[in-house]
Amino acid sequence: MKKLLNNWIVQVLLFLSLLGLTAYGSQMINDIIPPYFLMIAFFIGINLIMALGLNLITGVTGQLSLGHAAFMSIGAYSSAIATVNYDLPFLLGVLIGGLIASVFGVIIGFPTLRLTGDYLAIATLGFAEIVRVQFTNMKITNGAIGFLGIEGSTTFPIVMTIAVLTICLMVWLENSRNGRAMLAIREDEVASSAVGINTTLYKIQAFAIGAFCAGVGGALFAHTTTFIQPTDFGFQKSVDILSIVVLGGLGSIPGTIIGAIVLTAAPEILRPLSNYRMIVYGLLLVVIMIFRPYGLMGGVNLRQALRRAMMFPKKKQAGREE
Amino acid sequence: MPILNNLMQQLVNGLALGSIYALIALGYTMVYGIIGMINFAYGEIFMFGAYAGLVLALTNYVNVYVALLGATFITMVLGVVIERVAYRPLRRSSRLSALISAIGVSFFLSSLMVRVKGPNTRGFPTLFENRIFEIGDFQITIYQIVIIGVAGLLMLSLHLFVTYSKMGRAMRACAQDQDAASLMGVNIDRVISVTFAIGSGLAGAAGVLAGIYFNAVQPYMGLLAGLKAFAAAVLGGIGSIPGAMIGGLVIGLTEILGVTVNLSEYKDAFAFAILILVLLFKPSGIMGRKANKKV
Amino acid sequence: MSLLTLDNVTIRFGGLTAVDTVNLEINQGEILALIGPNGAGKSTVFNLITSIYQPTEGTISLAGKSLVRIPTHKIAEMGITRTFQTIRLFSELSVLDNVKIGAHCRGKAGLFQAFTRLPGMKREEAEIEEKAIKALEFLDLATKCEEMAKNLSYGEQRRLEIARALVSKPKLLLLDEPAAGMNPQEKVVLMEMIRRIRDTGITIFLVEHDMKLVMGISERIAVLDYGKLIAEGTPLEVRSNNAVIEAYLGSGKFKSRIRR
Ligand SMILES: Nc1ncnc2c1ncn2[C@@H]1O[C@H](COP(=O)(O)OP(=O)(O)OP(=O)(O)O)[C@@H](O)[C@H]1O
Ligand SMILES: [Mg+2]
Repeated sequence: MKKLLNNWIVQVLLFLSLLGLTAYGSQMINDIIPPYFLMIAFFIGINLIMALGLNLITGVTGQLSLGHAAFMSIGAYSSAIATVNYDLPFLLGVLIGGLIASVFGVIIGFPTLRLTGDYLAIATLGFAEIVRVQFTNMKITNGAIGFLGIEGSTTFPIVMTIAVLTICLMVWLENSRNGRAMLAIREDEVASSAVGINTTLYKIQAFAIGAFCAGVGGALFAHTTTFIQPTDFGFQKSVDILSIVVLGGLGSIPGTIIGAIVLTAAPEILRPLSNYRMIVYGLLLVVIMIFRPYGLMGGVNLRQALRRAMMFPKKKQAGREE
Repeated sequence: MPILNNLMQQLVNGLALGSIYALIALGYTMVYGIIGMINFAYGEIFMFGAYAGLVLALTNYVNVYVALLGATFITMVLGVVIERVAYRPLRRSSRLSALISAIGVSFFLSSLMVRVKGPNTRGFPTLFENRIFEIGDFQITIYQIVIIGVAGLLMLSLHLFVTYSKMGRAMRACAQDQDAASLMGVNIDRVISVTFAIGSGLAGAAGVLAGIYFNAVQPYMGLLAGLKAFAAAVLGGIGSIPGAMIGGLVIGLTEILGVTVNLSEYKDAFAFAILILVLLFKPSGIMGRKANKKV
Repeated sequence: MSLLTLDNVTIRFGGLTAVDTVNLEINQGEILALIGPNGAGKSTVFNLITSIYQPTEGTISLAGKSLVRIPTHKIAEMGITRTFQTIRLFSELSVLDNVKIGAHCRGKAGLFQAFTRLPGMKREEAEIEEKAIKALEFLDLATKCEEMAKNLSYGEQRRLEIARALVSKPKLLLLDEPAAGMNPQEKVVLMEMIRRIRDTGITIFLVEHDMKLVMGISERIAVLDYGKLIAEGTPLEVRSNNAVIEAYLGSGKFKSRIRR
């Protein structure tokens, strides 16, 4: 049985059926839940895809980025241009959105590599503002008025399937040689290069993949709302995505999932408080940080906890020997 | 020489705008220098200052200096309270949690203001007659004189305070090495509180000045102003007080210059473009000392 | 045969000459110790060898190949790994992951492998894991695999740094004060471990203040004072060298001169 599970073809089949199941399941959900909740679920999925990208940059590789919304906007606009101006199919548009965002991720990656910590944060923030101003002044994006007439091609199964796919890819990445190198960079750059890690390469990889996710999220967003304008992608948006990652627990994929659900739903759940909801949202961020400064899932290593639980008897023995 | 005159004119305009940025930037820089944290809520403290000034000006028909002092005092208290409640518990955790907490505070303050005062832009009552002086071919308004004057005065007193007072010395000691300062008997908590009070007070004063200058106050005005001021702080070399002043002036001047050369749509991008260039070519900023990497 | 050669190496930090025209050869398979008072420039020599600093003058070469201007991560690939005086572990990661990361420069998998998880990639992962566990066993840390690095004791952390440096099978291992903070029993064990590492064919260059350890395991000792190499020879020769006695005792107590 175990041997069978280790077979690559079997794993691919399992993976494909997981995706199929997701698509099927979300189609069913799509048919039964009220449109309002469906909309929330849409945005949870989209935010999750983008947050997983930022989690790779900030949570795993430790590069604080305050400009994720810029990659999102690049994905949103380029996919919209692809489907509206060039009549390309929707999914191709999404791919193009991701790729172009990713190219910008690499371009931003290069110079910002010389910067660390807060300097990097402010540089990415500056980049995001420049991108936003640029979109406000471009003809093809229809400037500040906004890009109209995008087809609402995004469907719930598509969002969910891409979200699950992203989760899987991220889990795999984190458990690979590349992922370990990225984690090492977060922990200590000097020690990383001393063991032979080309820190530049992996930082750029993280930016490229993270930006790709943001671009895909942006493309899905554009084809959900059917109308985008530069103000959709301001600093506030970058902060929203960052809060998801930090609140969930930096570097933790389950944390990011929880963060995406909580923070996307929170403003909606707080809607009965309508006038007070943003006030409460702000307070919520402060309170969560004070009581769980490493995020909701911070310091909780699921895999390790699981492994621990299973190895318990052996562990105890080892402890007694000392 | 019209070009020269025009340049002088823009210089004056840029100086006034830059003074406002510089005042906010000082808060960023002081807090960063001491606890190494970006206080993202500064923009909102600035906004609060503007509203405090507005309310004071409306209720009592007080003169500009009373409004200025009152707003400064209110934001000082606000700054200290914010530090106590939202940052102090996080002092030993990661930088990012403090950052998110600060962002939470900034959401809280701006949406609170929307709730209390409404989302619309409000005009500022005329606290005193604006007059225009003509010097040669260029003009300077009383408002500009007041702004540049008040900002200059505040910065000078801050400089004197930090350089010569006992508290100022304690602050500089904390910026160098908190643990050592603490061992020498410096009360770190107090120093941090004072830092927040001063920084927030300056931002509050800047808020009133901005309200008067632009005749507009709005709950979300803090965001962009805060970001630009932060850019100014980094540009000048974060942690450096003279750096923040220079950074603020440079950002103000370029913004005005951008408008002059007919690129006003891009004026908000200028601050950040300069910032990125400086970061890439002189990462420590104009006045910052180069950090020496020791292994 | 000389494995690593320092040829007239000098580095200045502003007005301070931290390493001053040092000439030194490290022979294949030996244990060489570098000693000297605090601030003599010992760690700086390690930083120069690993390209963390670039020499102001002079060249360093590994088996004839110059290391100057080669980025740090390539140095590890070429076969020089190190430990740090102030422990630099990946503290939020598990002990096992720390060592696996140490094997980075011997792996090949890239993004494509990460995302496809083809059998080749899994084989490489299994190999890395096996190597890592072996290295941990070698340093008596195998029972701590799942522990987070930051939860280890000081002595264990020092050993983990060695394991991380060792797992890539370097030609030359640089140990910067490996015994610092260890208790006497741990030091004895450490000496034995260092010897065993050398017996697997790895050349060892170490900086250490503990004279018992240095005299006990080194075949040759080089002495640095104010950045200058003042003596070089067998432990016996160095111990009776007048310049060395002067450097350590002349200006007062050992370890009492810290230059800034
Ligand atoms: N990056 C740097 N910038 C400026 N000075 C430096 C730098 N790195 C080291 N130094 C200085 O060079 C000198 C040698 O330092 P080094 O760390 O090599 O000494 P050491 O022999 O390892 O001492 P110890 O036994 O205390 O570890 C010291 O005076 C130190 O302050
Ligand atoms: Mg040293």
